Amino acid sequence: MNVEISDVTRRFGRTQAVAGVSMRTGTGVFGLLGPNGAGKTTLLRMMATVIPPSSGRVRLLGRDPGGYGPRREIRRRLGYLPQNLGYYPGFTVAEFVEYFALLKEMPPGRVPAAVATAIERVDLGDRARAKLRTLSGGMLRRVGIAQAIVNEPELLLLDEPTAGLDPEQRVAFRALLRDLGERAAVIVSTHLVEDVGAACSEVALMDAGKIVFQGTPDELTARGQGTGAAGDAPLERGYSAVLAAARSATAAA
Amino acid sequence: MAAAADAPVRQRAPRATSAVPLNAARLLGVELRRNTMPWILPLIAALFWFDSYRPSTITPPLWALRTFWNMGQGHTILDFAPFVAGVAAWMGSRDGRRGLADLVTTTARPRWAAQLAVWAATAIWAVAAYLVFVGVMFAVYAHQGVAGTPPWWYVAVGATAVTAFSAVGFAIGACWPSRFAAPAAAFIGFLAMFLSFQIGFSHAEGWALILPTNSHGSFDGSAQADAGIFYPWLPDLPIARIMFLAGVAVAALGLTGLPARAGGPWLRRAAAVVTLAGAALAGTAVGLASTARQAAEGVVIPALHDAANDAPITYTPACGRAAGVPVCVNPAYGRWLPDVTAALAPMLTEVAGLPGVPVRATQVAAAYPSGGSGPPQPITVDDHPAVLRMQIGLIIMPGPYGFIDQVRLLFAHAFVGAGAGSGSAVQQAVQAALLREAGIPFAAQPGLLANAGNLPGPAPGRATGPVYAAAQRLASLPAAARHAWLAAHLAELRAGQLTLADLP
Repeated sequence: MNVEISDVTRRFGRTQAVAGVSMRTGTGVFGLLGPNGAGKTTLLRMMATVIPPSSGRVRLLGRDPGGYGPRREIRRRLGYLPQNLGYYPGFTVAEFVEYFALLKEMPPGRVPAAVATAIERVDLGDRARAKLRTLSGGMLRRVGIAQAIVNEPELLLLDEPTAGLDPEQRVAFRALLRDLGERAAVIVSTHLVEDVGAACSEVALMDAGKIVFQGTPDELTARGQGTGAAGDAPLERGYSAVLAAARSATAAA
Repeated sequence: MAAAADAPVRQRAPRATSAVPLNAARLLGVELRRNTMPWILPLIAALFWFDSYRPSTITPPLWALRTFWNMGQGHTILDFAPFVAGVAAWMGSRDGRRGLADLVTTTARPRWAAQLAVWAATAIWAVAAYLVFVGVMFAVYAHQGVAGTPPWWYVAVGATAVTAFSAVGFAIGACWPSRFAAPAAAFIGFLAMFLSFQIGFSHAEGWALILPTNSHGSFDGSAQADAGIFYPWLPDLPIARIMFLAGVAVAALGLTGLPARAGGPWLRRAAAVVTLAGAALAGTAVGLASTARQAAEGVVIPALHDAANDAPITYTPACGRAAGVPVCVNPAYGRWLPDVTAALAPMLTEVAGLPGVPVRATQVAAAYPSGGSGPPQPITVDDHPAVLRMQIGLIIMPGPYGFIDQVRLLFAHAFVGAGAGSGSAVQQAVQAALLREAGIPFAAQPGLLANAGNLPGPAPGRATGPVYAAAQRLASLPAAARHAWLAAHLAELRAGQLTLADLP
């Protein structure tokens, strides 16, 4: 398994952002759905080894990230795209991606080819020498994806990766996700259900820090059938139905 | 998904350890290409030209004097320090300001190591610029024919100071990743330099000698004017300052490795050791500076002193004649030999044949007076045989009243035996009469006395009073009569046994 999480919680002061989450996943594209504030980003940050869990057990790529040595080894094989990606305005696209390739301790001899490949995969080959300050928001998002995949990660964590991408780019990105999912565990946090439907083989739905549904996109779709839940697409109706059920159960408790 | 989930995790071959330094070098290359420091260098260059180079050009062409302002008083450091600290803080706060802290944290390279690459690139730009600017300035000096040897040790102090300011600024930025970190660090850098100047001006000894802007004793226009000419630049104090500044830099960089996200336990322990080692190094340097004592050739720190540095620089003197008396100076002062002979010629002519008249004149190294012995006496006359010894390095050149007149005044002062003080009234009167005969009217003498910086004792305000009245009497005598009186009374005059009433 690439990711094994057991009963993980994370608190920020009195706020419990993640409450007893368990999940396992191997290679493939895993969608993490949920409304704003559901805890998706916090869960992703724990998987990215940015923050440790308050309690519970996390194993990534067969290692415990609590120890420094294993954590460092995990990070060599990790790709991460944060929700709010900053950038160095004076760097070119190629330099930015190269910079993170070096920080990920890729063998130096492999870096130039890996950088070129990553940039091509996000369709920015013609802008490789452009300064980041000259790029649009969607292009910057693609640069972020390029840095995440430059080391051919075995665990790829993407937080709202399609935010700012135009429809054509989103279609291309979903294809890229499917391709990456052939060899790595790709976990995509999003609130756009169409991304999940198009690219994910498995999906989890979070609400109030908990996973309230885990299954395939088809299973999520099925939850919405005949419920009269809001939504324009079958998957959206499944999403709304699961959320409504989870919230009514919480209210009843 | 189940089948996919059960797929084994791939194992990757371990990395070659040789890749790590190469990787770090490439990281440094990226940081060097995209560092902010080069953008601020034109501003520093302009400031450097106005503040460090231009004021120095009014000084005589001797390395010790030409570099007194910019190296001895540390103006080259002042020109760099606030900007370097500010830019380093800007670079240190980069990831925090740019919202990249999370992303950088998730990479395998320890955060501290990545930060050190950013700092190293910043410091390399700053130190390289410092060395280039100073190098260009020194090249211009060399082209101008500045004599002596450059104060290389003080260049090393300046470069280390720039490194230290970059490290402290970077630490401020790394610990406080805000857009205000850069201006705050620049202000702190400026404040540190300002305080260093203030303390340096008022503290001539003790721990304050460690401050790179303190010119007292070690690099003073009068105290060590002949460093690099008669004897080498003593490295004792520069070494202590380099230790101090390097310690500050190391401690500041160590601090950036202490936070939890900087790296693993081993690395953070190493950072703690580095911090303590830096603090210990800086503290040791301050302690060493406290033991410094002033010697004739400069500041000596016993624990750092190498006796080999006390050996004088050998040279072939440049010689001429004044009234038939051989006059020799260090070749570094060769350009002033005609002035020295021109100054001495009428004086030596006037006293020719008198007892104790110098048979030769020679330049000696300017010697810093030992504590409590009063101000230095730049020109003295030794006995048996009488030799005029001139510490030309202590004479203000070119001087507001002219180098030649100062030499004449100092010669007359020494010849009448006035010693380190202003002399007795009768000695002052004879001195005034000799000077008038050498072409310096009485009216000009008070000003000359007041402005000959190294002449001891109070100078009269106006050429009036009993001293000048007696001098007028002596000067109005025929030359032969005056000469005869001096021949008869010179020994008593020098011994201080005469009064004004004894003058003819």
